[in-house]
Amino acid sequence: MLGVALRRLAWIPPVLLVTSVAVFALPRLLGGEVTRSVIRARSASSTPDPAVEERLNRELGLDRPVVTQYLDWLGGALRGDLGTSFTTRSPVGPAVLEAAGVSAVLAALALALALAVGVPLGALAAGRPEGAADRATRWGGAVALAVPEFVLGPVLVLVVAVGLGWLPALGWGSPAQAVLPVLTLAAFPAALAARLVRAETAEVLGHASVRTARAKGLSPRRTLLVHVVPRALTSVTAGAGPFLGGTLGGAVVVEVVFAVPGLGRLLAEAVEDRDLPVIQAGLVVVVAVALLAALATELAQLAADPRLRS
Amino acid sequence: MIRSVRSLVLALAALLILAGCGTTAPADQGVRVALQFPPRAGYAFDADDGGLLTKLGVAEPLVGLDPQGSAVPGLATSWAREGDGRTWRFVLREGVVFHDGARLDSGAVVTALTSVLSRPTPPRSIADLGMRVEADGPGAVRVSTDAPDPVLPLRLSSGTTSVLSPAAYAAASSSGGQPSPQDTGTGPLRMTEIRGTQGATLLRHDGYWGPRAASSQVTVDYVTEPQTRELALRSGDVGFAEGLPETSRASLQADPDVTFSEYPSARTVLLQLNGSAAPFDDVRVRRAVTAALDRTALADQVLGGSAAPAADLFGPAVPYGMTTPPPDGDVPAAQALLAEAGYGPANPLRVRLWTFPNRPELPVLASAIAAQLEPAGIAVDITVGDYAAQEPELLAGRYDMFINSRSYLSDFPDPAGVLDSDYTCDGSYNIDRFCDPAFDATVAGLGALSDPAQRAEVFRAAAATLTANAVNVPLVHPQNTAAQRGVTGFTPDPLDLRPVLPTLAPTD
Repeated sequence: MLGVALRRLAWIPPVLLVTSVAVFALPRLLGGEVTRSVIRARSASSTPDPAVEERLNRELGLDRPVVTQYLDWLGGALRGDLGTSFTTRSPVGPAVLEAAGVSAVLAALALALALAVGVPLGALAAGRPEGAADRATRWGGAVALAVPEFVLGPVLVLVVAVGLGWLPALGWGSPAQAVLPVLTLAAFPAALAARLVRAETAEVLGHASVRTARAKGLSPRRTLLVHVVPRALTSVTAGAGPFLGGTLGGAVVVEVVFAVPGLGRLLAEAVEDRDLPVIQAGLVVVVAVALLAALATELAQLAADPRLRS
Repeated sequence: MIRSVRSLVLALAALLILAGCGTTAPADQGVRVALQFPPRAGYAFDADDGGLLTKLGVAEPLVGLDPQGSAVPGLATSWAREGDGRTWRFVLREGVVFHDGARLDSGAVVTALTSVLSRPTPPRSIADLGMRVEADGPGAVRVSTDAPDPVLPLRLSSGTTSVLSPAAYAAASSSGGQPSPQDTGTGPLRMTEIRGTQGATLLRHDGYWGPRAASSQVTVDYVTEPQTRELALRSGDVGFAEGLPETSRASLQADPDVTFSEYPSARTVLLQLNGSAAPFDDVRVRRAVTAALDRTALADQVLGGSAAPAADLFGPAVPYGMTTPPPDGDVPAAQALLAEAGYGPANPLRVRLWTFPNRPELPVLASAIAAQLEPAGIAVDITVGDYAAQEPELLAGRYDMFINSRSYLSDFPDPAGVLDSDYTCDGSYNIDRFCDPAFDATVAGLGALSDPAQRAEVFRAAAATLTANAVNVPLVHPQNTAAQRGVTGFTPDPLDLRPVLPTLAPTD
């Protein structure tokens, strides 16, 4: 397994290098004139003087050949300097890392909650088909899968924050402020995990190995915990990686609805303002995180299912 | 298994309850507000963030504004034009203390204005004037421009020309950054904590030269999503919120715990027409579009009353704006004008309408306009896209119709700059491609007019010329909204240029 990890890790730098070209080129393909967009972002002015545009173009370094701009940016990135934001004129690195940290906490809490709720519910539902837990999981899951975050978030706020007054409606920084965004983000993966585990568990329960374990006198609970659930978790593990990778890159809807200062919100604003250094740095972080999440998923699957190691 | 799930549910419920315990705000925490627009450039003065600092009550310029938009004393108590009219002398207020304890003098003003003037992109209010600032003793400054400027005091009412403590500029100079407003302003509220674009904490500045802030503390949250601002207000998270969703207008008005304010904004939503190419190079076609549209229906029905119908470029937010409603839609008149221009069943007119979604009302208006123009014989294809990508095409005259939302005041209460950039032959934002030397001469004449009443007359005449030529169709003037819950003291400012937060206070 160590060999697999090292081989996959060795691939990450070249993939990131290739990605860096795309990351550098993509924002420039968005259309519009960057300098005018930056002026608009700074001053809401639609009428910049051409001389002002020229001065700013020079200040931002956009008057240089694109290849020179790319090499400068790449060199800076390799030294840990991701540049300066066109709009805030502050270093990009700390801002992106801070936002990524917020998104990481949000994603990790949501994933943990989704697994903590979804896996036991799925196993319980599979253990007693058509029982109360199974029906609740099926119907509740259908609702959680169907209701989008931009609906669920405000509904939770209306009920829990406005109606009951238990929790704050917005912001980030205290445990109380994290609850509603985490619940909103966790609903979909929790429902998905419950469904996957239920289906996988039902299938594994029919295997000869499970019947053998029961015949040897193992209790139903122990059979479920030791022989069934770990095998049923394979598909959940496979889904957790992309979820984590995607959410670490920013849960834009949840971050906007709850005013959470995460990477998704930062990137959305940067795209609107054509803040190239922020877009570039943000995308690099997103890609790196996605690669690492994919690696972690693969390792987790290898650990859970020895057959895959061959 | 059942027991473990039960434990889990109980643990979650406990977490919810415990988390909720931490949300009750202590009584002495002052006021918490949800504002619509975060700082875009780290509170830089060469960006609109200077205006934001004025709104917060943190920083102040030399000149203040009264509710009508006239210049009143600010950090300067008086001003007068000197000699050839290119120089103004401003006498500074005595006893002004910065939040860091330094005293305001002419050196501080020179440092502040020179700093912002030396930026690659100085603020619109003072850019490209050849402005110079020099001290005239410790208690006065002289401000000169290359050409006589009749509205210089109004320009210096812009928040982008606010004055921070010299320490802020010294720190910026040594760090290579920009001056920070943290503990360096002169306003009634002192910015003690900056949380990026998430918020800020303001405390009352007890050494303020004017009326003290009504609340000991104001916690600012920048919330870009309208629905989140509304829910934060309803849940009691904040006591004041601005820019509320149009769909919540009625319920907020009906809520006995909420004081809802609706007031005009200095903004017009325009249907811009490309006057440099067929079909809109023909004034009859432009007039046909104007005649076919029912702007009252657009404001009252399509936008649910969240905007006022526009009769001309300027609206009720300014004294020279037209307050009478526009004429109702007249489809037969529009059809007659189109027939005169050679369009009809045999030669149908089909055009493309562009707009952008950043302001949610624009795509909605686009659909309504297409529906209103169809009976007149104009078929409209709609494209909703990214403004930044559309702008070069618009400025190059490669479009038919475009719905734009335009503020006609920039950093200070005078629309001469917008008339110049948007409607003169060489204007840098002349999307309508309107060019009339007589109009240009009218706008150029503003350079010699300092009397506000005379300037207002010119603004009225300019707007009338644009209407007569059907240069574009002013559709609606959006209404601003704000609401208070457990908070008093909000005064609507249609100009959006005056301090808002210093007068807010908790009701108990």
